[in-house]
Amino acid sequence: MAQTNTNLDQNKFAAAEELPKAQSKVKEFTKKFMKRKTAVVSLIFILFIILMAIIAPFVVPYAPDQPDYTALLQGPSAAHIWGTDEFGQDVFSRLMVGSRLSLSCALIATVIGTAGGVVLGLIAGFYGGFVDSLIMRCCDVLFAFPDILLAIAVVAIIGPGMVNVMIAVAVFTVPSFARIIRSATISVKQSLYVEVARSLGCKNSRILFVHVFPGTIQSMIVNFTMRIGTAILAASSLSFLGFGANVTEPDWGAMLSLGRNYLNTAPHMVLFPGILIFLTVLAFNLLGDGLRDTLDPKMN
Amino acid sequence: MKNRKKVLAALLAGVMTLSMGTTVFAAAEDGYAVKATNTDAKSGDNDLVIAIEGSVSSMDPANIPDTNAISATRGCYEMLVAFNKDQELEGQLAESWEVSEDSLTYTFHLREGVKFSDGTDFNAAAVVANYERIIDPENKLRQRRTYVVAQPDGTEKFRVESIETPDDYTVVFKLAEAWSPFINRMSQFCMISPAALEEYGNDIMNHPVGTGPFICTEWEEGDHTTFERNEDYWGEKASVDTVTIKEVPEAGSRTAMLQTGEADLVYPMPADQIAAIQSNDDVNVLAADSNIMRYVTLNMDLPELKDEKVRQAMNYAIDKDAYIQLMYSGYAKPATSIVPSIIGGYKEQTPYTYDVEKAKELMKEAGYEDGFKLTLWGDNTTQEVKGMTFIKQMLSQINIDVEVLPMEPATISDKIYVEKEDAEINMWYVNWSASDFTMDGSVRSLLHSSMVPPTSANTAYYVNEDFDKLLDEGLATADPDKQAEIYGEAQTIAWEAAPWLFLGNDQILYAAKSYLSGAYVSPDGAFNFTHAELAQ
Amino acid sequence: MGKYFCKRVVSAIPLLLVISFVVFMFIHMIPGDPARMIAGQDATKEDVEVVREQLGLNDPLLVQYGNYMKGLFTGDLGDSVKNGKTVVETIAPRMKPTIMLTISAMIWATIIGIALGIISAVFHGRSLDYIGMIIAISGISVPSFWLGLELIQGFSVALNWLPTGGLDSWQSYILPSLTMGAGIMAVLGRFTRSTMLETMREDYVRTARAKGLKETLVVMRHAFKNSLIEIITVAGLQIGGLLSGSVMAETVFSIPGLGRLLVDSINFRDYKVVQALLLFFAAEYIVINLIVDVLYGVINPKIRYN
Repeated sequence: MAQTNTNLDQNKFAAAEELPKAQSKVKEFTKKFMKRKTAVVSLIFILFIILMAIIAPFVVPYAPDQPDYTALLQGPSAAHIWGTDEFGQDVFSRLMVGSRLSLSCALIATVIGTAGGVVLGLIAGFYGGFVDSLIMRCCDVLFAFPDILLAIAVVAIIGPGMVNVMIAVAVFTVPSFARIIRSATISVKQSLYVEVARSLGCKNSRILFVHVFPGTIQSMIVNFTMRIGTAILAASSLSFLGFGANVTEPDWGAMLSLGRNYLNTAPHMVLFPGILIFLTVLAFNLLGDGLRDTLDPKMN
Repeated sequence: MKNRKKVLAALLAGVMTLSMGTTVFAAAEDGYAVKATNTDAKSGDNDLVIAIEGSVSSMDPANIPDTNAISATRGCYEMLVAFNKDQELEGQLAESWEVSEDSLTYTFHLREGVKFSDGTDFNAAAVVANYERIIDPENKLRQRRTYVVAQPDGTEKFRVESIETPDDYTVVFKLAEAWSPFINRMSQFCMISPAALEEYGNDIMNHPVGTGPFICTEWEEGDHTTFERNEDYWGEKASVDTVTIKEVPEAGSRTAMLQTGEADLVYPMPADQIAAIQSNDDVNVLAADSNIMRYVTLNMDLPELKDEKVRQAMNYAIDKDAYIQLMYSGYAKPATSIVPSIIGGYKEQTPYTYDVEKAKELMKEAGYEDGFKLTLWGDNTTQEVKGMTFIKQMLSQINIDVEVLPMEPATISDKIYVEKEDAEINMWYVNWSASDFTMDGSVRSLLHSSMVPPTSANTAYYVNEDFDKLLDEGLATADPDKQAEIYGEAQTIAWEAAPWLFLGNDQILYAAKSYLSGAYVSPDGAFNFTHAELAQ
Repeated sequence: MGKYFCKRVVSAIPLLLVISFVVFMFIHMIPGDPARMIAGQDATKEDVEVVREQLGLNDPLLVQYGNYMKGLFTGDLGDSVKNGKTVVETIAPRMKPTIMLTISAMIWATIIGIALGIISAVFHGRSLDYIGMIIAISGISVPSFWLGLELIQGFSVALNWLPTGGLDSWQSYILPSLTMGAGIMAVLGRFTRSTMLETMREDYVRTARAKGLKETLVVMRHAFKNSLIEIITVAGLQIGGLLSGSVMAETVFSIPGLGRLLVDSINFRDYKVVQALLLFFAAEYIVINLIVDVLYGVINPKIRYN
């Protein structure tokens, strides 16, 4: 691997980290964040979806799995504001209740994948040498595997189901995170405050988690929010290929994929899940961008 | 700017259909699901394009993995006997044939003056050469299994004892023991030019040479297969210049191709999309009865499913009409026996009419008023998943809690063909179509007691001596009346025992431009384009 | 540089060997039996056994792997179990469509993505920034099968401008490459914006600006040029994903490419074809990485290869 030459200016010692009080930091963060309107709107939307995920089962007009064979594939009406699906189930109710399943699946998969990737990336970037090569070669192997095969293999070996889809999505989150965090770690490692900590005789593990890790948070957050979107889409793509999660439970991706045969006869079946997925993924991404800009100390 | 408006208008039009609701269709008796109003449309060219769902995965007629490959190979290959459009067997390369009294000797009188497309003659020697090619184990051909039965002890039993050629245009097959499906299987025995076989060996799939009305010019697996007219064909020459079979896996894309005119015929036409195609006035949607049986196997070894009452209750709990409406927009018929009505020897049975109260009553009698839990396996395609979800919804009415587990076909196979004590199967949402249209082909491997996994696919673990005996008797006679009687009784036994949830027989749906005639899809899902005509 | 190149190529061999082994074990671990797929659902146990024996599936796994590797080194990748074609015959015609599509998707997605990223970075915090990013992110916010089907509805069925599929003319490339490229555009747009924002704060950019250079010159020559390395890394990674992950676009637009072949072969448990495809993807991934590394040096001569 080629390594970029980092110019370390040894004389800039004086510019070490300032230590602002924690409280004022939160305040300052909030103030800066509120200035980014798209991020604020996105956050509100995400909070709304999360709220829905929690309360939807108690407030929606129909049970999400209540079939009505006399009202198949009906367009939006007063009785069913977003229409009904191929079983006569209420699309609105299913989508609202489905937010719980889709969001939690995407979140959990991303969290697991991120955690794995971050730990591997930190270790690889911080220790370098053999450990680094080993971890990065493993990531190469994972990268060289097409996502689809990984997912099919995971689902085929351990069987269909929500948990297994989450594992599949988590697995292909790991290598890209490991790579990104690794390069962030390398640049943080060479920065001044880590040098200082090292010269003060801190233990490696302490340097790694107390000093290096916080430095990588910024790149982590951006990728994390992006990955949540990817996870939602991945679940839907897996449905398309026949490896979806719970088919009988309401799930956005499955609804979109199963509804595609009605694209030209009952378009509401793909329109509403499509829009909801679109807005949610967009919101997570915009929120990520907002957070990134806010967290960046050099930006105002 | 104008164009953008057009796009917007198109999108809006799509959204508008939201409010139209759904049209209810009924199975069409005259074969038309939708009849084109524009009947004098003209084709712009004389090249037929057929868009199909799956893949033409082989052009070797003796090594056929799927129905599409059967359809494609029939463009350039012919058999001794063939099914016509009305599903009657008639001579093709054989002008006539006789069966001996003891059902052991089949004599075929071959058509004279037929030439393969490489110029060599078709004669009795060609028939023998093709038979010998198939049974040679070195060639690893799938069709070998038709003529050679592997025995449990590792030996092999040949169905054909001898093949003789008294003269150049007569072939006599002598069977080792009576086997009534033989003549139907002959409709899958294609004649390849022996000279070409000599030259190419098993690479013949890339260089097809037959006697058919078309010559295969290009076979690109996964994309297309192209044919052009055989100018030296022995019979009535084909009308279209070329035929292209295009593989289009996504249903929506296939429908779109018909709408844009890129395809002249699409198969299968998803019932869900018929409403979309009705706006085109030059498209016919055609429906034909099929040999497809849709059912759910019930593992009779499970304590809950041991009781006949439970299995019957489950059958009563399923609304067959709703199933047909939901799954096939009405283009299907409720199952009325263990085989579709198109199968030889079919006899209508007393239906399990949808009656939740009766089902609950039966469950109560069996002591399962509070129900139980079961898993339901099935393929992971959209349509199969939909069907499984429906079964779950129906059975929940009698407190049976069904867990739907869609899996890849290969994974299901692995889980099904296991030793009896390792069987995990509860219910399997599946379908079956016997390509030879015989009763034996339709039920033996699914319900005969000797076919319990891992031997074969009797996943209901249905064991009934009387049923077995009747099946064996049916196989030993070639007399249709006697067969009808034997098979009628067998059907009643299995129907009343209810080893399956009997669902329906869907119709084959395909759509074609109204200027296309003569091309059709047979009940077994094979499409025939040899007599296709494009109105000019 | 030449030496470095050779070293990289040589070091790829063990990686490929490891991958070949992992792939082999992996695919054989997935439940499913090709012999059953060939023989059919109604085949008896004995029939399946005959096929298993023919295919050599009864040998121990390691023996099978040994045979496979022996074949590999003599250039024999085996036969597809589906129809007896050799693996090379099966895969070769599928390469062109996928590669052509990948290239066409890559070209437009890179150009638009980078342009959006630069615009957003330059107009940071203003409405053009938001608009640019919303456009970019939209590309990664819809599943590609959905996008593809909607495009067919709009441009093929409603407007009848473009064909629904196939790769017969240049027009037929438009919709599939739009579908495939949308995600790449999003990733690149976003990434370009964030690296550009970082480089634009660097001292040399400030210096350039202070010297009174034109803003476009500052952006393009200084900020963009220095962001390019990271952008290329990300772009390189995306190509790998495109080659193997094109299955959705290939399915929706009926294109006989490698992605569809992979999924079909996995479904059929056509082991030899799957193995060969995965080895190809791995090799291609390694090659792209190598090209990216070499490009580093071209763009920034300060980088040393060691």
